[in-house]
Amino acid sequence: MKTIIHDLPEQKASLLSGIQAHIISADGKYAPCQGCFGCWTKTPAECYMKDALHTACRTIGHADELVIITENCYGAYSPAVKNVLDRSIGLSTPFSTYRGKQMHHTLRYGKKDRLTVYAYGDMTEAEKATFQYMAERNAINFGFRSFSFTHLKSLEEMEGMKL
Amino acid sequence: MKTVFINGSPKKKMSVSAHLLGMLRLFVRGEVVHEQVRNQADHARVLDAIRDADKVVFGLPLYVDGVPSQLLAFMKEMEQFCKEQGLHPKVWVLANGGFIEGSQNKALMQVFECFCRRSGLQFGGGLGIGGGVMLNVLRILLLVYLALFALRALSGEPAAAAIDFAKQLGMILFFHLGVLFYGIPMGLKVNRGRECGVHYTRVMLPSFLFILVADLFFILISAFKGGIFRGWLAKK
Repeated sequence: MKTIIHDLPEQKASLLSGIQAHIISADGKYAPCQGCFGCWTKTPAECYMKDALHTACRTIGHADELVIITENCYGAYSPAVKNVLDRSIGLSTPFSTYRGKQMHHTLRYGKKDRLTVYAYGDMTEAEKATFQYMAERNAINFGFRSFSFTHLKSLEEMEGMKL
Repeated sequence: MKTVFINGSPKKKMSVSAHLLGMLRLFVRGEVVHEQVRNQADHARVLDAIRDADKVVFGLPLYVDGVPSQLLAFMKEMEQFCKEQGLHPKVWVLANGGFIEGSQNKALMQVFECFCRRSGLQFGGGLGIGGGVMLNVLRILLLVYLALFALRALSGEPAAAAIDFAKQLGMILFFHLGVLFYGIPMGLKVNRGRECGVHYTRVMLPSFLFILVADLFFILISAFKGGIFRGWLAKK
């Protein structure tokens, strides 16, 4: 099973119809992370804020693959998508280890197969390089064995694409 | 010359970003304004503060290799605002991450460079610090040592107390060496409106020791908050 996080506008959400996946719609109707670490120290893998992202980390945690479809924002995810990722650190445990020769948290749900990132919208070369690097870093951080990053010049490119 | 310090941490209390901005502020003369972007409600006020600013310094924590989402939302509005108003303040970035390697702030720093280019702002450089949370622990420790010193000094052994306190102060300074080495020049450059380049540093502790300290820290906090007894490491 895979999980898809997307910030597609409503009229384009049909691009995801028929796909077998847990879909997290990054519509921004939820609060940003408060940095309290409660999802590690108080109520494991659960946020104290009981909105749509209350247990988002579990939805991502139980999937082998994560697909992210996001508008480009300075070579990074849109605020609404980044909000989902910020609220999902319960994917990890508070314990630390080495991964990719650097310090990272140990993984609550173990290693995962693949992180696939599609970014749409106008994008400069510097932003593409930044996003490629960001996806690579996120893959290490969240414990994905492989990752890919693709820039979509327009959402029409997604039609007929196998996600 | 007006400088706006923007804290991009959502935290009300014990924000390492606020602490670091407070230290950088010591070097900056002229009008200085401190702001914080915790949510949407802060946007209008902070944008108003940068309307007549020459310099903007962002202090922020590293969230999932990047900028915290609520600050990213502000940056999008700031881009529009600066373009509409024809504003071109110079921007510096003071980032801190929980992992010990300062270089883990690299993607975040690149995002700010892209933000500046898009918004027509000059990127003045930045400093990415690893092991940020420990700076909080160290400032608490400093207060504890200071209190102990005062108690001992008052109870009739000021000389011995002063020697011990000097040693403790030396240790705390040692952990801060990297932060001071890059932070002081950065403060001086921000003051003069100059570029300081992009640098990464850390709390001066080997990573295996830092990991040990971090693990102990989380065990204590989780025992206190009860998470340890609620399927602490389980696949929920």
